[in-house]
Amino acid sequence: MTMKKTLLICAAALAFPLSVQAQDILTLYTSQPNKDAQMTVDAFESANPDIKVEWVRDGTTKLMTKLRAELSSGVVKPDVLLIADSVTMESMVSDGYLESYLSPNRTKYENSLYSDQGYYYGTKLITTGIVYHKNAPQSPTDWSDFIKPAYKNQVAMPSPLYSGAALIHLATLTDEKTLGWNYYEQLHTNQVKAQGGNGGVLKAVASGTKPYGAIVDFLAIREAAKGSPIEFVFPKTGVSMVTEPVAIMKGAKNKVAAKRFVDFLLSQEGQQLVLEQGYLPARGDIGVPAGFPKREEIRLMPFNATKTLENNEANKARFSKIFEG
Amino acid sequence: MTPSLIKAHFIDGPSMDSQLRWLSIGLFVLIAALSVAPSLRLLVEALSQVTLSASSPLAEVLRSERTWVALKNSFYTSGLGTLIAVFLGCGFGFVTTLTNIRGRAVWVFCFMLPMMIPPQVTALSWLQLFGPASPILNTFGIAPALGSSQPMYSAEGIALLLGIQSAPLVYLALRTQLIALPQDLLEAAQLAKASPFRIWIDIIVPLCRSAIVAGAALAFVSSLGNFGIPAMLGIPAGYIVLPTLIYQQMAGFGNDMLSQVAGLSMIIALLVLAGMLLQQWIQQRSCYALLGHTAKSISFCLQRWRLPFELLLVVILCFILVAPLFALIVSSLVPALGMPLTLDTLTLSAFHEMISRQGVTKRAFENSAFLAFVSAFVLMIVSLPLGYLLMRLPMRTRAVIASLIEVPYAIPGIVLAIAFILLFAKPLPFIEVSLYGTLGIIFLAYLSCFLSVCLKPVLSAMSQLDPALEEAAQLAGARPLKRLIDIILPLTAPAFFAGGLLVFLISINELTVSALLWSAGNETLGVLIFNLDESGDSVLASAIAVLVVMLVAGLMSLLSLFASRLPKGVIPWHD
Amino acid sequence: MARLILENLHKSFHGEVVVKNLNLTIEPGEFVALLGPSGCGKSTILRMLAGFEPVSDGQITHGDICLSSKKHHVTTEDRNFGMVFQSYALWPHMSVKDNVGYPLKVQKIKSDERDRRIQEALEVVQLEEYADRLPAQLSGGQRQRVALARSLVTEPDVVLFDEPLANLDRHLRAKMEETFRAFHHRTGATIVYVTHDQSEAMSLADRIAVLNKGELVQWGTPQALYATPKNTWLANFIGRGSVLKVSEIAPQQYVNSTDLHDLIKRYSSEQVFSSVLVRPQDIRFVPADAFSIVVTVDNCIFRGERYDIELTLEDGQKLLTYSDVPMTINSLHHIRLEQAWSLESES
Repeated sequence: MTMKKTLLICAAALAFPLSVQAQDILTLYTSQPNKDAQMTVDAFESANPDIKVEWVRDGTTKLMTKLRAELSSGVVKPDVLLIADSVTMESMVSDGYLESYLSPNRTKYENSLYSDQGYYYGTKLITTGIVYHKNAPQSPTDWSDFIKPAYKNQVAMPSPLYSGAALIHLATLTDEKTLGWNYYEQLHTNQVKAQGGNGGVLKAVASGTKPYGAIVDFLAIREAAKGSPIEFVFPKTGVSMVTEPVAIMKGAKNKVAAKRFVDFLLSQEGQQLVLEQGYLPARGDIGVPAGFPKREEIRLMPFNATKTLENNEANKARFSKIFEG
Repeated sequence: MTPSLIKAHFIDGPSMDSQLRWLSIGLFVLIAALSVAPSLRLLVEALSQVTLSASSPLAEVLRSERTWVALKNSFYTSGLGTLIAVFLGCGFGFVTTLTNIRGRAVWVFCFMLPMMIPPQVTALSWLQLFGPASPILNTFGIAPALGSSQPMYSAEGIALLLGIQSAPLVYLALRTQLIALPQDLLEAAQLAKASPFRIWIDIIVPLCRSAIVAGAALAFVSSLGNFGIPAMLGIPAGYIVLPTLIYQQMAGFGNDMLSQVAGLSMIIALLVLAGMLLQQWIQQRSCYALLGHTAKSISFCLQRWRLPFELLLVVILCFILVAPLFALIVSSLVPALGMPLTLDTLTLSAFHEMISRQGVTKRAFENSAFLAFVSAFVLMIVSLPLGYLLMRLPMRTRAVIASLIEVPYAIPGIVLAIAFILLFAKPLPFIEVSLYGTLGIIFLAYLSCFLSVCLKPVLSAMSQLDPALEEAAQLAGARPLKRLIDIILPLTAPAFFAGGLLVFLISINELTVSALLWSAGNETLGVLIFNLDESGDSVLASAIAVLVVMLVAGLMSLLSLFASRLPKGVIPWHD
Repeated sequence: MARLILENLHKSFHGEVVVKNLNLTIEPGEFVALLGPSGCGKSTILRMLAGFEPVSDGQITHGDICLSSKKHHVTTEDRNFGMVFQSYALWPHMSVKDNVGYPLKVQKIKSDERDRRIQEALEVVQLEEYADRLPAQLSGGQRQRVALARSLVTEPDVVLFDEPLANLDRHLRAKMEETFRAFHHRTGATIVYVTHDQSEAMSLADRIAVLNKGELVQWGTPQALYATPKNTWLANFIGRGSVLKVSEIAPQQYVNSTDLHDLIKRYSSEQVFSSVLVRPQDIRFVPADAFSIVVTVDNCIFRGERYDIELTLEDGQKLLTYSDVPMTINSLHHIRLEQAWSLESES
């Protein structure tokens, strides 16, 4: 048995002597939480024992700061990016930093989840909805609740200046006719605090400093399952969504391994892992994790990545002007 | 001695010996690489896009109202924080060093601990202490209602934590001076019928002014550059200081902001330089050489005041150490954030997860311990000749070089990290080795950042040394290196160890520099805690923080065991 | 053994002249004192000799070797000089034995040879039984003797003393002076001894260089300095005596009794004057006659073996003399001045 396995590995190594060598190193930059990143890497490595993944985890914006500093010095460190949102990916595409790759697995996905030229592929659906503390006096059901007087100075939300998901949330909500920029101005009037990233919102709500908040689904649902005194709801008007896309860097040192990583994430196995981690898989035929309503019941608000990219800086500046004076 | 044995040196500066010359050149290169290069690289970045137009990044920074608000806020919080630090540090220093209080080592040990806890953990534990979910307040039924505003989310809250965090810096600076005060000063004053209070005001405080100023300057600078506390307490309240402003600019607007950010950093650097010049000026005016070495240090007899003083210390320690630590431990023992701790909910799963499941924990501990130990060790070795050479320079030159060394420590860690990325992202010339993405770059950044931390106590000890001690060795025929090792080192050893220890304790929890420089496999403890916390895993973060506190407390206790074999004054919490 | 020569030595710090154009030739084995009030530059000269300070101009040679000049500097480590500091400069972290033995250790002398020489050096200063103590456990005088032992252990050609007795009490000083004298006698080393105390210099040195404001005032034996000082400043500085203003006379000569009395009488009627030094022992009380000078007793101070008598001349000038018996204050007396020494006026 072991003999056989060794032979197989040897054969594999011989079969691709020039491309993938034993213990090839693949460098991944990701914004997944530590635990999930470790799980993803472990699963990929056990499926591809000839590749060793070295990974760097940080929040999307900070990770991009780091990456941009490296790129401006002329170094391409990562082979693959796995970050929160497609807007950041669009900006990388327009700056010519990404490699196009048409994965054979893409056929199982909706067109809107990946770029036509194959620059990046969404791997899961992360929606932003509402969370509240179980002991809180109100039970919010929609975004408009946050601007009611009862919620004054009681709501926390992630800042679009920190979190990629929050930036897309901002773009989505300001595009929604019933909400718009007016909604954000009212949020500010109602003393809603934009607290760092989603982790900050979770802390604020769970510890009761701010009993209500806007937050990404998996974080709240997962913590609630562990016993945290919080509740997550999908608002009536709809949720905003990021797709956590994966992409290959132009100039990646290990493109073959990078392509196998992309294929793995898009495979049945990769999507099953997403489900286990407690996320909504991007592939429609996989099902939903515990604690989520059925796919059809989650209402997604419309969102346009290209337009959002164009407005990105203006959105940030406008937000920053409203909330930070 | 026969004439042929006498070696004559033909050199440009007559009193310069060849050993000294090589030493100077080596250290010059070192300072240039560690201190000047990063600062210069930033300056280049800040000025790179300067045009005469009003839209240049620097002009924009100067025009922006937020810059000035942040500047004002930075001054307020750091100033108030420094006041608190001086108050706490001096109070503690005077009481534990100068009196016959019982259990001195224990007090000092506990007082040093808050500095060892990462700032963001301190902030977190205080928030949990005073928040609606506070395990302690809930026990007494006095927890604030859900959503009620947090007293800690304010300028004063930030200042309080900054003060507690940097009080040990003041304490350490002061202590070195206090143990050098000879008992006869006290006796002379007692004969003059001065009350203990008068002696303290008229004799001890003036003699320690230089040390207090040095400690206060250290506290101010570290408060000015502190990111963790204002990030946790200020950002939610919309209260910005310079480091958080920089962070927001960087995080929110990406790399195009680099020049603006570099401009902001230059403002901080200038402020710090001005502060340091002021400090040096004050120190020059209040520096007294203490003649001779008296075996006995000053000790007041507290008599009936001893118990009240001890009780006061207990209350203060409960407030600044025990309660937050308790809150931290409690929050590491629950399954999920926000759950109350009961016998049913109590679980060690967070520890189990971090210790046995996540390889990153072990790695981070190893990396941080390695970085802290090697940085402290290297800096101690460097500080000896560096301090020695600096003392031989004319006052002005010395002040300039000391300031250059201080700049990397003074500018916020995030900015220093950017400077290092800019410097080292490409492989090094000639040897084609890339430091980027290795522990090496963090190590270099630590050296750059903490050189001044290690050097300060060393310089202060050297300036108090009677120059005749070294001249006597010179007459004995000892060359500079030998004099350094045989005479200067043993006489200033406590200062070296104090410096090295400071570096170790600061760098083991360091966050802001490594936040941008870490890479896969090269995580530090600070980064691990911050990342866990940021991605919502506060329970796991608390578990690691508890482990860190245990590690540091353990190391400190281990040092205590060896205290009797080390020179007097090496270990701050030991006599 | 070699001669130590200071030639046109010049030193300034930041443009301020501290030592000006100094010439001294110190013979081998000679005990030389550099004497002067504080700030006269004597310590700077010592530090230049030791090699701590470079010279600004001129040179220091030792035998055939140039130790210091404007372009050339032998480091302190290479000079084989010993030095005893005012603050003792004992290394507090080393025992007495280690302090004394350190120069030998630096020279890599084997430990048995080293122990023998440490023992010898400690014998000279009579501290054998203190070998293992730390400096902090010794008294001031003992510390100074350790420093002395340390300076002699390498058998240096020249030993420098920088106000070594300044921190000691009077009783100890006398004892230490004796120790120094014995030390010089035993080692035969050339000694340069800096002090501001003239009696210390007079009792110890073979020759004394008196300095004022960075310049050499006079260079000679203690006897010569006492008997034939160069100017009024030096006359006031060394020994006891009175400087009198008298009618003009050429400087640097002895004035006999007759001439002196004449000069004193003429002084009151003439404007120009010279100064002469009258030592107390050259004043004699005499019965009134044509030559005698009338004085009033101002003060009478008991000094043990005799009385100091302060006198006032008719023109108000003061004189000091001795007497075996007390004298009534304000009583009138007649004196004769046996001789005096005429002085240069201070420039």
